[in-house]
Amino acid sequence: MSTTATRRPARGAIVGSPSSSTALGAIVRRGLRDQRRAALAWGGGFGAFGALMVAIWPSLEGSMSELVDSYPDGLKEAFGIVRLDTVERFVDAELLSLILPMALAFLAVRCVVQATVGAEDRGHLDTLLSLPVSRRVVMIASVVVTGALLAAILAVVWALTWLAGTVAGTGISASTLASGLGNVWPLAMVFAGLAALVAGLAHRPSTATCVASGTLVAMYAIDLVGKLADAAEPLRWISAFRYYGSAIQQGFDVGHVAVLTVAALVLTIAGAALFERRDVL
Amino acid sequence: MSTAVIETDRLSKRYGSSRGISDVTLRVRRGEVFGFLGPNGAGKTTMIRTLLDLLHPTSGSARVLGLDSRRDSRAIRARSGNLPGDFAYDERLTGRELLAFFAAVRGRRDLGVAQALAERFEADLSRPLHELSRGNRQKVGLIQALFHEPELVILDEPTSGLDPLMQEEFLRVAAEQREAGRTVFLSSHDLDEVQRVCDRVGIVREGRLIAVEEVAAMRERALRHVTVRFADPVSDGVLADVPSVEHRELDGRTLRFRVRGEIDGVVKALARHRVEDVEITRPTLDELFLAYYGRPS
Repeated sequence: MSTTATRRPARGAIVGSPSSSTALGAIVRRGLRDQRRAALAWGGGFGAFGALMVAIWPSLEGSMSELVDSYPDGLKEAFGIVRLDTVERFVDAELLSLILPMALAFLAVRCVVQATVGAEDRGHLDTLLSLPVSRRVVMIASVVVTGALLAAILAVVWALTWLAGTVAGTGISASTLASGLGNVWPLAMVFAGLAALVAGLAHRPSTATCVASGTLVAMYAIDLVGKLADAAEPLRWISAFRYYGSAIQQGFDVGHVAVLTVAALVLTIAGAALFERRDVL
Repeated sequence: MSTAVIETDRLSKRYGSSRGISDVTLRVRRGEVFGFLGPNGAGKTTMIRTLLDLLHPTSGSARVLGLDSRRDSRAIRARSGNLPGDFAYDERLTGRELLAFFAAVRGRRDLGVAQALAERFEADLSRPLHELSRGNRQKVGLIQALFHEPELVILDEPTSGLDPLMQEEFLRVAAEQREAGRTVFLSSHDLDEVQRVCDRVGIVREGRLIAVEEVAAMRERALRHVTVRFADPVSDGVLADVPSVEHRELDGRTLRFRVRGEIDGVVKALARHRVEDVEITRPTLDELFLAYYGRPS
């Protein structure tokens, strides 16, 4: 056999440079296939935790309000704890106030960093960028895949928690639970965008992860301190957690969701532009 | 239309602690196999990565397939294939999955000549990359660079890790690319490999292009080490009258010397004697640099 052929385009080829959307679609599809297990593992883990919480709710229901009443006011304010008189509020306090948003924000950082700076570190980016695909598309694809992964995890958590709550006869509201979980997505995506921004500058995955995760922790701390100390309250506006709130207690705040979504978009676009401009080492 | 497929004008790239490349001006013609020869760390990979826009030039410019290497980088990569020096990708993928993914990114509906190449290189596309040896991974790397039959193939140390039989097969494939009118830019530190397949060679040292020569002319200039063991005693002046012979050393019935250029006179002179054994060694890269540069690399 010979690989020689006429100089006409080979059969099956699309003449010229394929569009960015073609490359983006292919990379996103590949990324989604790669993340299937992560969606099940993370979704299953947090879903099991949520299911456990709602399953034990009937046995705690009577005593939780008294317990919460005994907490100091400052503590309740800092952690957004109100009366735990419904199963949704209990899930909010146990899962959505700290654990899930922090974990998913960290996962978002990890996903974007691994698909960009991590790929550069492992030499995969040299191979991928031998194809007709821009660095900007690689970055955007990593954020799109991260967004889809987070949505899938939240969907699994919602399904398991709602199912357990229904089986346990708690009367859990599917829509309230969905709004509480859905509220986590834009917050985590801000940190996906932040990771994109850092990846646009850093060449080492450890540096990018440390900077983005450090900012995540710092933002949480600023928001917490701002709630506890009036002097630090004005600083809260720079923290993404300031716009997170609690969709279960206060309803879905469209304004805050918009702020977080726009922040995520701006950070991603800036990160993609920086990534396009810098060398791949 | 320009006949240059790659054209650089004082292209330089300096970064970090790397020497990079400096003022490289080069023209690679359409339809030739061009060797980019130099020792490790000479700047070969930096040159390729700059042509592909993985690295942005510090100064100078490059045009590939008539397009600006920075502004039209994506279009260049659509029309070319590249094997990175250290080919690596997600090791969970099989060769076939990797090729299917790359075909999708390239907007292709099929795997082109991938299967035929796999048969020639005896590559197993059904196993995940992590289960493959370095040489077998390199075969997948070669296939992904060639399967879409690009106008320009850029290969960084392509035979690295391949066994001798597969190296031969690769050289045949490279020659076929030329026959099909395609251009091959091949980076290597192996003089023998470059001389066997390339039409012209650019020699790079410490980031600078020090010579571009036709391979035939390079062979003329290149020296070979020859050791001849005669069956009978010979006189001190044996082969002394052959112009291409230098540095003769006679030790009993064994004569060691160097041949620069034409070897025909040596063969004819040896034919006058009974010869038990002849050993010819090609020059090392250092010796080649000596020939061009007056000092080793």
